[in-house]
Amino acid sequence: MMLLAQAAEAGAGNTSEIVLFWVFAVLALGSAIAVITMRNIVHGALMLVLNFLAIAGLYLTLESAFLSIIQVLVYAGAIMVLFLFVIMLLGVDNDDLLASEPTTRVLAVAGGALLAGALVFAFVGPYTSPASVCGPAAPAATGDEVACEGLAAAYGEEDPSGVSFLGRAMFTRYTYAFELSALLLTVATIGAVILARRRDLLPEDEDEADLVAAGTVAAEVEGFELSGDAVAEPAAASGQRRAEVGESVVPGEEPPDGPDEPSGPDRHEREG
Amino acid sequence: MAIGYYLVVSALLFSIGLVGVLLRRNAIVLFMCIELMLNSVNLTLAAAARLWGGPDGQVFVFFVIVVAAAEVVVGLALIVNLYFRRGTLDVDVPQLLRW
Repeated sequence: MMLLAQAAEAGAGNTSEIVLFWVFAVLALGSAIAVITMRNIVHGALMLVLNFLAIAGLYLTLESAFLSIIQVLVYAGAIMVLFLFVIMLLGVDNDDLLASEPTTRVLAVAGGALLAGALVFAFVGPYTSPASVCGPAAPAATGDEVACEGLAAAYGEEDPSGVSFLGRAMFTRYTYAFELSALLLTVATIGAVILARRRDLLPEDEDEADLVAAGTVAAEVEGFELSGDAVAEPAAASGQRRAEVGESVVPGEEPPDGPDEPSGPDRHEREG
Repeated sequence: MAIGYYLVVSALLFSIGLVGVLLRRNAIVLFMCIELMLNSVNLTLAAAARLWGGPDGQVFVFFVIVVAAAEVVVGLALIVNLYFRRGTLDVDVPQLLRW
């Protein structure tokens, strides 16, 4: 009872935060449920945009304005545009692919409910007490309990949005993680370019196409090795190799090996 | 507002995302549910950052967003390839992971 009274007293200080929290929380949960129940994938993706925007609003109530902006820009902007683009590109906006077996569905919902129950049970006790209320409505420090001042106090007067507070941590303590994330983005870009390369595959003869693709790749690699060897090899060896493949070569007329020279017989092999 | 309410919301969001992953078979929907779960964890980290009044939780969220962006780029390219090769996005199609 006393806890409830204390909570009410603490909450009275910032009514707007509480109102905004409930609005955004209901919006986030409702749109999340819509994402997993919508039959139309485009509608699901738009619901996911709504969910991301609601989470951006929750970041705002958590005094994390920078995260809120990043969330809107990167998630609701870039990532969801990518999702919608792929959905439209593939034209798969209306297929109904629920898990086929009823047992699987029941187990999925039961497992999710079990996880949710366990997590809520873990969080509701210790973290909903007035001691974990932050910001201006936080209760005053008593004994060994430290009042949670929230992030506005940590940001300081001259940095109300917390960007320089965040940047200082990111470029001092987390420098290596920052550099690694740059590397990760580069690798992801290269990977996407390689994966997006068109191979003109058809679903019905994909095994044959796989073999052809593998053979082409192997031949390319071989060609690279040959051209690498040829720089050090004498011209006669290259001429002999040509003779083996069946091309008529006059050894006296053989020009000095260029890097692209041995790709001739290699190409011949591939065509024949 | 006590931090616990934010944690409860993010726990519920995570569970909803998990149910979606288990329930749906469309690869794109699965991917969207994974994004949902990533976001719920981000919310937990931001709430913890406020509870402790430090920058670390927010920096973690920033890096999670960077990794999620990279993951979406590669994952969607894989899904497009999968669709062109298989003609379907059903992840329950047998022999999907054999070769």
